[in-house]
Amino acid sequence: MTEAEVDDKRITLAEAAKMVNDGDGLFWGGFGYQRAPIAFAHELVRQKKRNLTVYTCGSEVDLEIMAGAGVATRYEIAFSAIEALGLSYNIRRRVSEGKLAVEDYTNLAMAMRFLGGALNVPFMPLRSMMGTDLVNLRRYRGDDKLKVMDCPFTGDKICLVPSIQPDFSIVHVQRVDKLGNAQIDGIVGEDLEGSRCGKKLIVLAEELIDTTEVRTRPDQTKIPAMYVDHVVILPYIAHPMMCHDYYDYDLEHLMMFHKMTRTEEGWQEYLDNYILGVDDHHGYLNLVGWDNLHKLRATKPWGY
Amino acid sequence: MVEYTKTEFLIACASSHVRDGENVFGGTGMPLLAALLAKETHAPRSNLISEAGFIDANPREVPLSVADTRYYYGCSAAIGLIETLGFLLQAGRIDVGFLGAAQIDEYGNLNTSYIGPYDAPKVKLPGSGGGNDIASSAKRLIIMMAHDKRKFLTKLDYMTSPGFLDGPGAREKWSLVGGGPEVVITDMCQMDFDPDTKKIGLKSVHPGFTVKDIQDNVMFDLIIPDDVPTTEEPTQKQLDIMKKLDPKGIYLGKGG
Repeated sequence: MTEAEVDDKRITLAEAAKMVNDGDGLFWGGFGYQRAPIAFAHELVRQKKRNLTVYTCGSEVDLEIMAGAGVATRYEIAFSAIEALGLSYNIRRRVSEGKLAVEDYTNLAMAMRFLGGALNVPFMPLRSMMGTDLVNLRRYRGDDKLKVMDCPFTGDKICLVPSIQPDFSIVHVQRVDKLGNAQIDGIVGEDLEGSRCGKKLIVLAEELIDTTEVRTRPDQTKIPAMYVDHVVILPYIAHPMMCHDYYDYDLEHLMMFHKMTRTEEGWQEYLDNYILGVDDHHGYLNLVGWDNLHKLRATKPWGY
Repeated sequence: MVEYTKTEFLIACASSHVRDGENVFGGTGMPLLAALLAKETHAPRSNLISEAGFIDANPREVPLSVADTRYYYGCSAAIGLIETLGFLLQAGRIDVGFLGAAQIDEYGNLNTSYIGPYDAPKVKLPGSGGGNDIASSAKRLIIMMAHDKRKFLTKLDYMTSPGFLDGPGAREKWSLVGGGPEVVITDMCQMDFDPDTKKIGLKSVHPGFTVKDIQDNVMFDLIIPDDVPTTEEPTQKQLDIMKKLDPKGIYLGKGG
């Protein structure tokens, strides 16, 4: 049996970022240190995108980059910090300067908003946030941040959060075929719902595999090709964060990043060197150094 | 006499609140080591869960992130966020959650979001993450705080996570799934909550501190029982296990 003729969905990172218009909304994949689409954040910065709204639960270095470079002006998120290292200084500065507005939710609330978007229903109910300032205080979304109501069935108080169907979903995975069948190893975080809620889905993957390989372990396909619009294949997309079974986080780089972002000058130096000072992701990887990158490669069976 | 650091003391103290067979949200840092220590000692059948999706975890090295691959090897399941925060936590299946905060009030409500006014914050803190979800829906909450007068306030700058909100009946009024905070562990003492008024009181004082030290370092009236016990010190066995769990001192090395 032969595969039916289908489009090859592969494009370059620059082509993918070019599709994003100023003012667009993006679901941002990855969770904590895991599978962060850092390379895409870098390219949005190099292409000088502006006024983006980013929706995610808890991303770290990538949110710092997009806030620091002025690419994103609105975040609808639950968490911003670099776990184990400390506060996210860029976000903290941009919030104080009034250049970044953060509409605060919880991790479950954001995951439910993505699930609602993916299911094509206008809102989802949940039982968090009630009685706290997450309900009482709102920024630009105002009344549309969330609603608390009496459940029409039980009469209990329930919180409703608006679903999200952003312009793009940006998701980083381990493997993909050229049709877009995307395989994720390890935890999925909120990427199942997130990948299905966007109007367009761009999948970034470390490795290209043949569709025959996909069919040998279809249970690993967490995002079937039918959802996927474009595919970008690149190594070390998440550096300095981690990609399960492929490479570990680069703690030295991460600590340098966190230290430099303490001051605006330090951040501008990082931005000039590592993001604006290189032509593309390969330039960034060359700058980080292949000796360093090879040291991060995961060892079986640990996956890091 | 057993020698220990402040961090080791707090971890041992926190671990004593985990019971065998419980489902525990461990996170990272001191709570993670507390949950692992409990598992290695009095609670071998406790089930350590990370909100990123790791279930029944037995990490051989301590993770830096709740999504760190170090959580993966030895788990019995690695799924995702709707699984852990939704199917497990919101459905009432999590027994214990650990939280820290920048500010706490006398009802155990927590601030992890902003210092200063909401409209012009002085400092943007990490936010809720899964913290509010855990405080809303875990059966019991263990809070770990640095003991500082500026952190124990009558009015929070921002209420991120619910303790007992404005007092008796408030959690019921908002149909919260979980039972609320059980204990607050600081570097000076343990505090718990009066079952009737839901207000915070002194439970035990750590060795080397007096009741007055503690009263001097909170901004509200603390309920002080007539007889305040001294918090139990860690055993040598607990200390040895902690060092085995974190041989590089990633978390033990901090703030010792």
